[in-house]
Formats: sequence, structure tokens, C-alpha cells
Amino acid sequence: MGLTLNHFLILGAILFCIGLYGAISKRNAIAVLMGIEIMLNAVNVTMIGFSFFNHVKPYSTYLTGQIFAIFIITVAAAEAAVALAMIIAIYRKRETVDVGEIDIMKW
Amino acid sequence: MLNLSLWVLLFPLLGFLILGLVGRMMSRAVILTVAWGACGLAFLFATMSFFSMLGTTPASARTVDQVVYTWVNSGSLHITFGQLFDPLSATMLMVVTGVGLLIHIYSAGYMEHDPGFWRFFSFLNFFIFAMVLLVTADNFLFLLVGWALVGLASFLLIGFWYQRQAAVAAAQKALVINVIGDFGLLLAIFLIFNSFGSLNYHDVFGMLGSATAGSATITAICLLLFVACAAKSAQLPLYMWLPDAMEGPTPVSALIHAATMVTAGVYLVARTSPLFEQAPIALNTVAAIGGATALFAATIALFQFDIKRVLAYSTISQLGYMFMSEGVHNYSGGIFHLTTHAYFKALLFLGAGAVIHALSDEQDIRQMGGLRSRLPITFWTFLIAALAISGIPPFAGFWSKDEILSSLLVQATNTGNLWFYILWGTGLLTAALTAFYMFRLLLGIFMGDYRGSEYIHEAPPVMTVPLIVLAVLSVVGGFVGSFGLIGLARWQPLANFLAPLFATVHAPEVSLGWEWTSTALSIGLAVLGILSAWVLYRKGFAYKENRNPLYQLVLHKYYVDEALSLFIVQPVLALGRAATRWLEGGVLDGGSRNLALLLHGTSALLRRLQTGYVRNYALAILLGAVLIIVYYAVRG
Repeated sequence: MGLTLNHFLILGAILFCIGLYGAISKRNAIAVLMGIEIMLNAVNVTMIGFSFFNHVKPYSTYLTGQIFAIFIITVAAAEAAVALAMIIAIYRKRETVDVGEIDIMKW
Repeated sequence: MLNLSLWVLLFPLLGFLILGLVGRMMSRAVILTVAWGACGLAFLFATMSFFSMLGTTPASARTVDQVVYTWVNSGSLHITFGQLFDPLSATMLMVVTGVGLLIHIYSAGYMEHDPGFWRFFSFLNFFIFAMVLLVTADNFLFLLVGWALVGLASFLLIGFWYQRQAAVAAAQKALVINVIGDFGLLLAIFLIFNSFGSLNYHDVFGMLGSATAGSATITAICLLLFVACAAKSAQLPLYMWLPDAMEGPTPVSALIHAATMVTAGVYLVARTSPLFEQAPIALNTVAAIGGATALFAATIALFQFDIKRVLAYSTISQLGYMFMSEGVHNYSGGIFHLTTHAYFKALLFLGAGAVIHALSDEQDIRQMGGLRSRLPITFWTFLIAALAISGIPPFAGFWSKDEILSSLLVQATNTGNLWFYILWGTGLLTAALTAFYMFRLLLGIFMGDYRGSEYIHEAPPVMTVPLIVLAVLSVVGGFVGSFGLIGLARWQPLANFLAPLFATVHAPEVSLGWEWTSTALSIGLAVLGILSAWVLYRKGFAYKENRNPLYQLVLHKYYVDEALSLFIVQPVLALGRAATRWLEGGVLDGGSRNLALLLHGTSALLRRLQTGYVRNYALAILLGAVLIIVYYAVRG
């Protein structure tokens, strides 16, 4: 018995839940960011799983899912850079990276 | 056949655009070149087309409907911008552009010192453009476009001296009354489209037959059309704007009264004669209103002191003649009187303008007198025009007025209807009154001793040359018309020229005996009117205070303006002020203010939901995503 699509999906779901929990429950902005990264990678795992285990002609020859995953990695890197820059900016201004103390995103 | 009517239309438009856009920067010479050039080219092309039409036989080949482009093509509504060039529009084009050109030339002298020189000529060209559009349109919708543009042009020109309160008020009055007419025309157009499914003259007239004769719809259409005509041509009860239009510069008065604007109503009735022929009630209304207006305006003109107002009321009176003529099936007679009236009324106004110019804007005849030797050219041309309008042979007005009067009498004897006899009598009485008040005016201005104190100078040649040209036309202009008196049909070139248009008209039988009777009486009465004026005012005009209530009534123009102000204008204004306070201030402004307050209150509450904490937002997104998933899971 080898790897099946279900293994990938379950792994993806577990990773997504971990990331979601981290993003919502953590007070440190860096940790929230890490949670978001984990969620993104969970999606990547499912994408690649679907792409790899698709045997329906002619879609089995397409690499759309894998290419999508590479895109997500790229975008995630850019997003991480922007987010870290914002965190640093906030830190310089408020001396904290605790998301529970930052409430300026209103009105 | 050569048809250049599109060019006749384009050049005045071009002149208007050039002068309106860049005229401010032009020198006077350039402005005059553009304005005269535009109007002159229009006249040239109109003349060329006209003579080409004269050379075309048979007469049935003289109608050209030239479609320029399709404007609306939607379902059954198919409207083209087409130009109809036929004997009627050719005659109108000649009058509009010809007399218009003379007025353009004259204006150069009259408006010489006005700072709004370029604006004035721009508007003049626009007026000519609008009028040409009106008379060459081949369907009712473009007729309406021209009709409304003419109203706009008159508004602009009457209110040309917009610094004067009275001029602005007069312009507004003219516009409001004209819009009443436009509304009538619009309703007529709706009815026409509803009944005939087309707006093209040719299509609509083609669908008329014995089945439609006398129907209520046709009568309603014709009455609504006549509302428009009454407003535009200043007939009872919509004449009030025309005397006030005297606030505009005098060349404008000449243009409005002679070549353009007021002739539009007469033109429209002639143009839609196939409709009017099927609506005897409407046609009788036209005749009755025309007769009433002719007499009413003539009596007011008897005792006015402002020379332009006398002329204004005489225009209203003469237009009444034209409508009377059309009311008794004599459409070509109405158009004939329109052309001769254009000559002598333009001449009268331009002559009055020369007098006013000479006296530095004095318009009261009590301040004039004795100008005969000081303004000789003006005097002689004015005399010719006065003789023409009084109906003294062989001047132009005699032939056309007499054709109208004799056709009234012929209609009366043919039908035996008392009302037509009364109408004829009204016409004769008006002729006598016309002769009287015209010579009262003439003698008041030119005879006796000068009563004013201004320095007097004769007008420059640029003003006197148009006077002389118009005087010549006022003498010979009648010969295109009525030698019907001696019973020679081929000596009526204009009537024969227009005849193809009025093929459906039930022309009354002509009786030479009655025509001679009518002619003899009208000449007699005109001479009587002139003699009375001569006896009274030979020594110049002397104003005497007169307490006679009848005299006071006529002097104050029957108090129509006062009554109108009291019963219509003031209530409407009061209503408007009340609406400003209660409807706009209370309901509309108050309503929107309360709505704004309500939204402000609710959003102040809802704003609390937006905490600003990033985790709350993330949780909200999660909740939303879960709800969507649950929705799809449950739905299956």
C-alpha cells in the first residue's frame, strides 16, 4: 500500500488547521505570519496532490496544479516580505508586535 | 432642378458659429464680412434655386424632397433630416434671406457703436439659420426644431441689451409665450404620429382622404397647430409678447416682424393646408381669430405714442389679415400678403430705426415732428411704406390686402353666411384704421415743427441703401400677385406658382363684380383714413390730455397686460414662492436632511462592529468561509 490522494488531502487539512489555529490564537505578529505561511503551504500540498493523482485523460498530462503551487510560493514570499516590513514599521512606532494591542485597522 | 437649400441652411449656421466662437477677437470689418457673407451666400443660393425652379416645367416637377440623413430609425418611428424644396419654401426662402440680408446690411450702421457688435451679428445669422431650417424642413419634427430655435433666437435678440431690466423681461415674456406655442405644436405632432404613423409632410398628406375629412382628430390637430401659430405669429390671445419685443434693437424688430418669426405661423397654416382643408371648424377658427386680432390690434395702434409700438400693433393686425385669408381657403393670398408685408414692414421698422438713430434713441412721437426736410430719404421711403400698408394702389400692400378682402367677400356671398360678411366688414374697418394710424404716425414724425431737443443727423448710406431697396420692393412687390382684379389668371404669377401646393383646396368661385365692390370700398376707406389723419395731424402731432374713458382704455391697450399680470403672472409667482418655502425648503430639503441624519445614526451604531483587531477580522473571514462550506455541504 503506497501513498494515495487521501494522504495528501489529510496532510493538507492538518497543516491548514494548524496554520489557522496559529494565525488566530497567537499574539505575536511574527507567529501569525508563520501561521498564514503554513496555511498557504497546506493549499500547495493539496494542489500538488490533485495534480499528481489525476488520471483522467487528457487532464493527467496537465501540470496546472504544480505551476499554481509555484506561483503561490512566489506570491507568499513577496507577501512575507511586505508583511515583515509592516511589522517592523509598526514595531518602530509602537514598540510592540502584539496583535492584541494593535487596533488601528478601523474607520 | 438645382436645389441648393442645404447650402442656404449651412452658411448662416457657419456664420453664427464663427462669430459666436471667435467674433470677440475680430475687427468690425471682419465681422461684417462673415455676417454679410453668410447671409449673402444664403440669399445667392436661394435665388439660384428659385430661378432654377422657375425654369422647371411642368409645375409638378418643382417639388424636391432631399434627404440629408436619417436621424431616428426605431421601430415604426422613422425620422429623416430632409429638406423639402417646393414653391412655398422657395418663396419663403427668398423673403427670409432677401429681407434678412437687407437687415444685416442696415444693422452695420445702426449697431455701429454697440460693444456687442459681434454678438449681435452672430445672433442675426443664427436667426436666419433657424428660420431657414423651419421653412425647409420636410417633416413635422424638424419643423419643431426650427420653430423652437426661432423662439430661442428671438429670445436672444430681444434681450440683446441684457443690462436693461425691461429688455430682459420682454425676452422672458417672448420665450414663455413661444413655449406655449411650442407645446401646442408638440401635442399636434404627437397626435399626427398617433393617427398617421409618420411625421413626413408628404406621407401624412397622402393619407388624407374623404374618410378622414372633418374627423375630430384632424380638427384637434389643426387647432393645436393653430395654437402654435397664434403664439409665433402673435394672434389673440397670445399676442402680448410682440409689442414688448420692441425692447430689442430696431433691426431685430424688423427681422422679427418682417422676414422671420411672425411669418412662421402663416407659413405653417399654408404648409398644412391639406389638414386644415379637412377641418372646417379649425379653419373658421383661424379666420375668426385673424379677424378679431386684426381689428383689436389696429384699435390699440391708434393711440400709441411709441413709434415702434404703433408698428408692432400694426404687424399683429396685418398678420390677422393673413390668417383671415387662409381661413377662407385663400392660402396663396396669405403668403402673398406675407411677402409684401415683409417689404413694407421691414421698411417701416428700418425707417423708424433711422429716425430713432437720428434722434439718439428717442422713440416718443410727442418728441418728434418736422423731420421731413432733415431726414429726406427716410421720409420718402417711410411715405412709400405707409402708402403700401394703407392699401393705396399701385403700392404692394394694395394688391395683397385687396386680394384678401375680396376673397373674404367672395366667400361670404358664396356661402351666404353672415359671419363672413362680418369678417369682411372687420377687414374693411381695419383697413381704414390702418390708413389712419399709419398717417398719424407719419405726420407726427415728419410734419409740423420739431418738438425735441436732440441734434439730428441723417443715417449713413449703409442704412439708407436698404431703405431705398425696400422702398422699390414696396412699390413693385405687388405686381407678382394680384391682377385677378381684371380677371386674367395668367397675370397672377405668385398664385399660379404656389398653386400645385394647394391643389386640394376648395377654392371659392371668383366673382369679378364682388371683387370690384370690395376693392372700391377698401380704397375709399383707406383714403378716408388718410384724409382724417391729414385733417387732424397736418400741422404736426399735438398731444392733448384726454379723460374720455374709452380713449384711456385703448391707450392702455385694454389693460391686457395689467389683467394678465394680476390674474396669471402674480398668482403663478406667489405659487412659486410658496413652493420654494414649503415644497423645497420643507419637504425636499427637510426630507433629505432627515434621511442623512438617519443614516448617520445607524452607521454610528454599526461602526462598533469594526474593532480594528486583526484577529477579529480573521475570525470573521473564517466564519464566513465555514458558512459557505456548510451551505454547499447541506445543499449537496
